[in-house]
Amino acid sequence: MSYADFRLDGLEESVPEPVQRIAWFVFEWIPLAILVGVWELMSGTVVPSVVLPSPFEVGAAVWELLVTGDVLPHLQISLYRVGVGLALSIVVGVLLGVGMARSQPVENVFEVFLALIYPIPKAALVPLAILWLGVGTETAILIVFLACLLPIVLNSYNAAQDVDQNLIWSAQMMGMPSWKIPLKVVIPATFPSILTGIRQAIPIAFIALVSAELIASNEGVGFEILRYGEVGAYTLMFAVLVIISAAAFFAVRGYEWAERRLIRWT
Amino acid sequence: MVEGHVTISNLEKVYESGGERTKAIDDLSLEVPSGEFLSVVGPSGCGKSTLLYLIAGFLDESAGTIAVDDVPIDGPGTDRGVVFQDYALFPWRTVMGNVTYGLEQKGVDKKERQDTAQKFINMMDLDGFEDKYPKELSGGMKQRVALARTLAYDPKILLMDEPFGALDQPLREALQDHLLDIWRDLEKTVIFITHDVEEAVYLSERVMIMTRHPGTKKTAVEIDVDRTQPREDIIMSDEYTAMKNDVWQSLREETKPQAQL
Ligand SMILES: Nc1ncnc2c1ncn2[C@@H]1O[C@H](COP(=O)(O)OP(=O)(O)OP(=O)(O)O)[C@@H](O)[C@H]1O
Ligand SMILES: [Mg+2]
Repeated sequence: MSYADFRLDGLEESVPEPVQRIAWFVFEWIPLAILVGVWELMSGTVVPSVVLPSPFEVGAAVWELLVTGDVLPHLQISLYRVGVGLALSIVVGVLLGVGMARSQPVENVFEVFLALIYPIPKAALVPLAILWLGVGTETAILIVFLACLLPIVLNSYNAAQDVDQNLIWSAQMMGMPSWKIPLKVVIPATFPSILTGIRQAIPIAFIALVSAELIASNEGVGFEILRYGEVGAYTLMFAVLVIISAAAFFAVRGYEWAERRLIRWT
Repeated sequence: MVEGHVTISNLEKVYESGGERTKAIDDLSLEVPSGEFLSVVGPSGCGKSTLLYLIAGFLDESAGTIAVDDVPIDGPGTDRGVVFQDYALFPWRTVMGNVTYGLEQKGVDKKERQDTAQKFINMMDLDGFEDKYPKELSGGMKQRVALARTLAYDPKILLMDEPFGALDQPLREALQDHLLDIWRDLEKTVIFITHDVEEAVYLSERVMIMTRHPGTKKTAVEIDVDRTQPREDIIMSDEYTAMKNDVWQSLREETKPQAQL
């Protein structure tokens, strides 16, 4: 469930559906409109337009980058890194979370490890990762993976600990052997929380990606931001920022949409 | 019918959590012949659920034995089926998926398990809801799915822990009569836990009253009524009222001292 489900609660009865949809749309985009408005006012007045180009110039630059295709290879490699890092963190995170919740030895081993990486900003690990993996895709993937691991582990850990004992007993009484319980009962029962963990991890993945690429990459969106910044092409730098923000935004929205469409039972 | 009789001898259960020991069941012995409908009543916290889960094999006894058809139980088994108060349906499976679950574990092939499941789905008046998920059903429907799920894999013994406790009166009565029909048709041993004296007496051939915590068998009252009559005739009869009063009195003796505290 996303916050979109309970906005404007109570309006359902009195207002016709199409009007509601328009109202939702307007409410949703008002903050962005205000942001763009303030940005436009500040640019060239309070802040010199060299360091804060007007939103319309930035918009034009976004268009240019997309039409010329200059940014596309970088976007592609960045999305690949986000995708692989996130996928790895889902697989490892779910196994770790469920394992820790259902087995004391597993919890003892990994608890310390997780407690140690929890407070470290993942960007601080980039130099270390470069040392191990060099500059490039592997380092970015590792950082994305580490950053996404925690929300996924925590969500699946908490949910796996709270699995209704009666569900496990139900499966056992119908003849399911104990060794199948984690896979066949605990993980499905934990599924809604795993989905929440993934939803929380998506924006974190993009943050981790850009912080890794700013330092440890010769390609990718983060690298482009840095490169344009270094040569003083601030409009293009902003444009790349806007593109990666939009990508993150649509990734979350697309995920929520797919979740609603594909999973009926939650 | 000779299968499904339960023998409990000198059963004791002590819970240990965080260094604390709670004795929940104390020296309880009980014989449930095959095909009997036995209800268990007792004050809250006296160990009714504990007793049921011990028989189900979910919990290990601290002392004593539980045997089904003279074989001591070893963990959960498909000879026993539990119906939980909170249904415990698998939310990720449809009604059909829940009801076929036990047959799937047994390795019954798909066609046959769907046919069997369909039979019990129809028996519970759930036809048309096969593809619904538990969250799309009302409480009464969920409990009927849970009952169908347990009946479908054909356990000899039905263990029910306040299964109708969360339902409103008319629904509860309808399900009680449904359960009685099933019990007669399918010849199951039923151990039925409830805190509702009326429900216990109406349903069962025998009602066991448990003492207050730590629970043991206090007494058992035989309920000898002609169950071919309609409900209203049964509950209006003098013998029925007398038997109900016996159970009520006995239970009241156990709850009273606590209430005075
Ligand atoms: N997991 C547990 N750990 C420790 N003590 C427990 C546990 N489960 C139950 N108990 C204790 O055992 C006793 C019996 O509990 P049980 O749930 O069997 O009672 P009950 O008769 O089913 O009560 P109710 O009518 O309220 O459902 C209670 O004192 C309870 O506090
Ligand atoms: Mg109970």
